[in-house]
Amino acid sequence: MKRILVRAEECAGCRQCEMACSFQHSGRFSPSLARVTVHKDDLNGLDYPVMCRQCSLCLPMESCPAAALSRDAEGVVVADWQLCTGCGLCVQTCRYGAVKMQGGKPLVCNMCEGRPQCVERCPTEALEHIEAPEFTETPEEAFRRMKEAWGFHE
Amino acid sequence: MSKLYGYAGKVLRINLSDEDYRIEPLSVREARGYLGGRGLNISRLYKEVRAGADPLGPSNKLMFATGPLVGTMFPTASRFNASARSPQTGILGDTNAGGHFAPEMKYAGFDQIILEGACSRPVYISARDDEVELKDAEEIMCATVFEADAHIKRALRDQWTQTVVCGPAAVKGVKYGGLFANQVRAASRTGMGTVMASKNVKAIAVRGTGAVEVAEPEAFRDLVLQLEKEIRDHEQYPGRRLMGTTRILTMANRAGFLPTRNYTSGVYEHAEEVSGERLAREYNVKTRGCFACTVPCSRVYTVRAGPHKGLHGEGPEYEALGSFTSRIGNRDLELALKANDMCNRLGLDILTTAGCIGWAMEMYEAGELTQKDTGGLELTWGNGEATLKLIQLIARREGFGDVLADGSAEAARKLGRGLDRIAQVKGLDLIMADPRGLKGFGLGYMVATRGGDHLRSEPFIELNDDPQIGQRMFGVPEATMRKADRGKGKLITYFEDWCAVIDALEPCKNIMQNMMLLPFDRAAEAMEVTTGLKLSPQEVRDAGARIINLERMFGVREGVTRRDDDLPTRFKETPLAEGASSGTVVDADLMLDEYYAERGWNQTTGWPTPETLMKLGLGFAAADLPA
Repeated sequence: MKRILVRAEECAGCRQCEMACSFQHSGRFSPSLARVTVHKDDLNGLDYPVMCRQCSLCLPMESCPAAALSRDAEGVVVADWQLCTGCGLCVQTCRYGAVKMQGGKPLVCNMCEGRPQCVERCPTEALEHIEAPEFTETPEEAFRRMKEAWGFHE
Repeated sequence: MSKLYGYAGKVLRINLSDEDYRIEPLSVREARGYLGGRGLNISRLYKEVRAGADPLGPSNKLMFATGPLVGTMFPTASRFNASARSPQTGILGDTNAGGHFAPEMKYAGFDQIILEGACSRPVYISARDDEVELKDAEEIMCATVFEADAHIKRALRDQWTQTVVCGPAAVKGVKYGGLFANQVRAASRTGMGTVMASKNVKAIAVRGTGAVEVAEPEAFRDLVLQLEKEIRDHEQYPGRRLMGTTRILTMANRAGFLPTRNYTSGVYEHAEEVSGERLAREYNVKTRGCFACTVPCSRVYTVRAGPHKGLHGEGPEYEALGSFTSRIGNRDLELALKANDMCNRLGLDILTTAGCIGWAMEMYEAGELTQKDTGGLELTWGNGEATLKLIQLIARREGFGDVLADGSAEAARKLGRGLDRIAQVKGLDLIMADPRGLKGFGLGYMVATRGGDHLRSEPFIELNDDPQIGQRMFGVPEATMRKADRGKGKLITYFEDWCAVIDALEPCKNIMQNMMLLPFDRAAEAMEVTTGLKLSPQEVRDAGARIINLERMFGVREGVTRRDDDLPTRFKETPLAEGASSGTVVDADLMLDEYYAERGWNQTTGWPTPETLMKLGLGFAAADLPA
């Protein structure tokens, strides 16, 4: 299926993805309203945006007591705020920290129904929306990989 | 009036002496008149800090402000200004940086943060939405900028907290200690870090969950997309993406205005070895950007071998790259990277630091300083080891470093010699562009309200050296010819007003001004779709002129007159001997006459006239004009 892939070497950490996401879904601007969050290692100048990766085994979906998470026709994980009771278990179970609560409801990336704004607005092409297998790299792992490749020892 | 969009709408005022704070509403009248950022700061500073207030005493106030565009997806809107009376110059201190601090300030709910008084114990300020605390900073007061930032994020258990930090140099009382956001985003001119340290404050940490709303979301989005397209289609886009401002070094050398060996030459024979091109080719591994940037231009470099093996980090920008290469006669690029990194960690203003070192080297080479003065340091041109040693001594105020820790002018005064070799205006060391090859820049340095610096006007258009632009914009072809003196009064007045507007709205000047993307009419459009405030292009420009005039009055109150609007004698009397800017000197008086006429200021005193002040709604300041 189509996923949003992260090319960490290209990410400049500008957070336009957060702004695009927040604006798309709420008409306002705030990282706390965005379904994507850029992790940073300022000391080494490294950045990594985290959003839903469409795992084949989605632990938040499996564990949701209200069955508020499901997959749409394309297989994209979507949240039903009507069913959601706001227990926050999804935030705890997502392995990548891709879910955050806002106003008692979970913010889950729905890939903007096929045209992810974060991908469209990324100024460095660090995000790609393509057919891709599942990927499991965490920001910490990516940071370690880049630090080793570039000889950063701090 | 209806709801004000764009702005956070609140001002956080912290009284450090009482360890107390209050939250005040942002005045809509001030927002209209001063737009934001730098404008808000001078509006408050002029009224709240008396003339003659001790820059490092509790009666000085340190103000941080950001603008209405910040915290949205408006391209490059990421910046803040910090202002106070400057310990380095005694006039207005003001400095600006990007990164991620300013948007976070907005999300926490503040357009402006005002620090008053002084704390009796070392603290850092934590503002998480409305929850404001003074946290103990005993442990980190002398820590480097990088260590302090990391410590605070750990202590608050939150990697998304954004900080502005002062370094150990500021804490030691070096007069040009800066403020640093995201570790290397330096707001380091005029000693604002030193002011913060004098208040016993190591850092401000902000984090917020609020949102910024714009007045007309659809029109706002259209404007943003249009600007992004223009940025990507711009001829400067590829160079900026690859090299950021470091691309200027080669350009400046070709045009013969690259300050070399403390301005004794405008051409550096080793420029290629220390160029932005070489840095990009051999050292850069990654791009970084400030918040919401469409053209991320910061670069992460790594040094893989040699004496500085393992050194890596962000930067340097052109000013830092040139400062630690041509300005001090150093051809070792890696040494320059090391010096840049040291200054960032210690929290020093690089332009002033290198200005002092360049001056000392020229003095040493001329035999006017000896190892007896320098404590054994051999300050020959380009001596890398001595440069690194001296940076540390300055930061600790030890030995010869102590002599340089108040700036080059003060050092010359202390030693009683070398005043003819300093490169500064009003106590602020100059930047990396020789005014003999850029006359408008020269006028900009002379009249800049914060002292010798280009960012108050930055008439980059001179680099085109195209008389047709001058004819079209100002009716004077010479206005945009770089080696001509005529027409510069109009040029600088226009560009000063423009820079003030950009610094008030707080996007990036490099992009929005240098790439000609946000002129007054478009700034008015941006204000309207973002905030809902309707201003004509002329009203926007008037806001810029209001900021300049009030900043000038801040200086006038501290004694500034026409006599202080001057360049070092070297630039007025000695032409450069070689290169494409040779054979000409600056006609300071001609340019000043034109400038005062254009500004509506008194030709003899250089003070704004009461009429000019009244016209801009600054009648209250007319009472401060000396009799």
